[in-house]
Amino acid sequence: MAKIVLDNIAHSYDPNASNPVFALKQMSLSWADGGRYALLGPSGCGKTTMLNIMSGLVTPSHGKVFFDQSEVTRMITEERNIAQVFQFPVIYGTMTVYENLAFPLKCRQFPEDQIDKKVKEVSEILNLHNFLDNRAKGLTADQKQLISLGRGLVREDVAAILMDEPLTVIDPDLKFRLRRKLKEINDKYKTTLIYVTHDQNEAMTFADNIIVMDQGEVVQAGSPKDLFERPQTTFVGYFIGSPAMNLYECSATSENQISIGSNSFKVHTNINNTDSKDLKLGIRSEYITVESKLSDNSLEADIIEVEDFGNYKLITASFDSVKIKAKVKRELDIPSEKVILKLPAEHCCIYEDNKLI
Amino acid sequence: MPKLYTFLKYFFVILWACFVIAPFLWAISTSFKDFNSVTGGATYIPWLQFEPTLDGWSVLFKPGSQGGINIIGPYFNSIFVTLTASLISIVLGTLAAYALSRYTFKAGFVKNNDITFFFISQRIMPPVVLSIPFFLFLSTLGLLDSLAGLILVYIVLLMPIAVWIMVDFFNRVPKEIDETALIDGCNPFQAFFKVVLPNSVPGMLVAGLFCIIFGWIDFFFAFILTFTKVQLLPVKIVALNSSITPWWSLSAAALVSVAPLIIVAFIVERYLSKGNLSGALK
Repeated sequence: MAKIVLDNIAHSYDPNASNPVFALKQMSLSWADGGRYALLGPSGCGKTTMLNIMSGLVTPSHGKVFFDQSEVTRMITEERNIAQVFQFPVIYGTMTVYENLAFPLKCRQFPEDQIDKKVKEVSEILNLHNFLDNRAKGLTADQKQLISLGRGLVREDVAAILMDEPLTVIDPDLKFRLRRKLKEINDKYKTTLIYVTHDQNEAMTFADNIIVMDQGEVVQAGSPKDLFERPQTTFVGYFIGSPAMNLYECSATSENQISIGSNSFKVHTNINNTDSKDLKLGIRSEYITVESKLSDNSLEADIIEVEDFGNYKLITASFDSVKIKAKVKRELDIPSEKVILKLPAEHCCIYEDNKLI
Repeated sequence: MPKLYTFLKYFFVILWACFVIAPFLWAISTSFKDFNSVTGGATYIPWLQFEPTLDGWSVLFKPGSQGGINIIGPYFNSIFVTLTASLISIVLGTLAAYALSRYTFKAGFVKNNDITFFFISQRIMPPVVLSIPFFLFLSTLGLLDSLAGLILVYIVLLMPIAVWIMVDFFNRVPKEIDETALIDGCNPFQAFFKVVLPNSVPGMLVAGLFCIIFGWIDFFFAFILTFTKVQLLPVKIVALNSSITPWWSLSAAALVSVAPLIIVAFIVERYLSKGNLSGALK
């Protein structure tokens, strides 16, 4: 186990091109020993490249990788002692489930009795103990993925377990149980877990720390609460949360006041020093409340639709020809045509050039 | 509608089966005929329409002094040359194909696909173009009229087939399996031998089948590069021909020479189905 540090890492798959395209733009990042991380971002944002750099499958074109104090940038994969689980199950089809799970330990020449003990322990955790003698090839996709996962878990001493959207092929119930299991494993063995996903719920429920990436850059790293309440960029606001953050172009009218069309709102951000034309207000639909009469920071909107999601209602309304979404308790009576919505000043985030002020 | 479909399906399958089997039946019946039965119009049923005889077959095994051609020696020569050349081609071809599938090669404008094409292009040239170079090459090495010389030439002819099939096979094997093996603690050689190779048996069998077929049926090089010491089966069979074409012994020889291919095809047949080829890993 080790602290993993990416020092000024950048990667281009064709660094000698006259105008190289960077899959990963320059960044420095460190992963604490025993931490539970989620790497979140849309497809093609560089998540997998980052994982492959850590596991040694890709050598970064720029920068250095450290495990604790020692540099491993050019160290080959098998010497890094890292476990990696891919999105689709990778199994050794000619081997049995037992042999699959034992393989990483055999490669590292662990004694037989230790291999046996560990394989049985992991197979119990993953509910694979009844299939140990079966050929891995004949199992279902989710069982195969459990084997992939199992091969990552049999080694206790790994620097980190990197998981690249590992639960995509697994059904929702098992997915939930496995995520919990992974958390337990992390608590028990203090193994660093890095979990790549594009599913924010998965990231939010799994990790202590979430790293959001977009277009080869880390746009925000923080706890689920930070990402939800104070998204550092409009991208994070839009990407995290369901529905996405409400975002409106606005203009500053005084130190703590902005206007959207004919409506003005107080905010807790000092916007005196901004001269940017690109100013946006962002507010989570969870923080918007329904009021009975107009007051400060409230507006009257025309209801477009009200969707009942069972545990909450989602109001979609429009004001000044922009849409607004509010998530409210399902017991709340909602008028049929017009609704007064309040945007609490403490939850209004102001973005200048798409970055939080 | 489904009934009509089933009917048509079976109708065409049976029609095709007849088309394929008919020449064999014809050859089998001809191999048991003598001169008169062959030249006296079409006959099909032994004992009723013609008196079966083993003359056609016995010629194949009698020594030359008794008017036969004795194919046993050439038969084993053919088996030895074909199997050895196929085996070496598969081993070398698989290694080459794995490298071409997994690593990036670049020398000026020549890249992986160009190298693969270079291999395949060896088969594009008509054999006659290669005959003189091969003759001179073997003559320089002192390998004319020898099994080793033939094996060498057949490796050149068969390896493109092996490379071609195996590159395609490896390209369909997800590279994550190699990467997983590396992560699990193998070095690249162990990853290949312990993980990739056992999973590539179906592809290798198919490539092997094609190598064996193309090696077994070659007449041209066997004819040009051998004289008296070493003979392969196709060359020996042609020696049967004389002023009166011996259809009976030619038929027997055709059956004997096609038999190993049929046996190999039956063994490999189940690996030819697409599922076994493409779904080997995921």
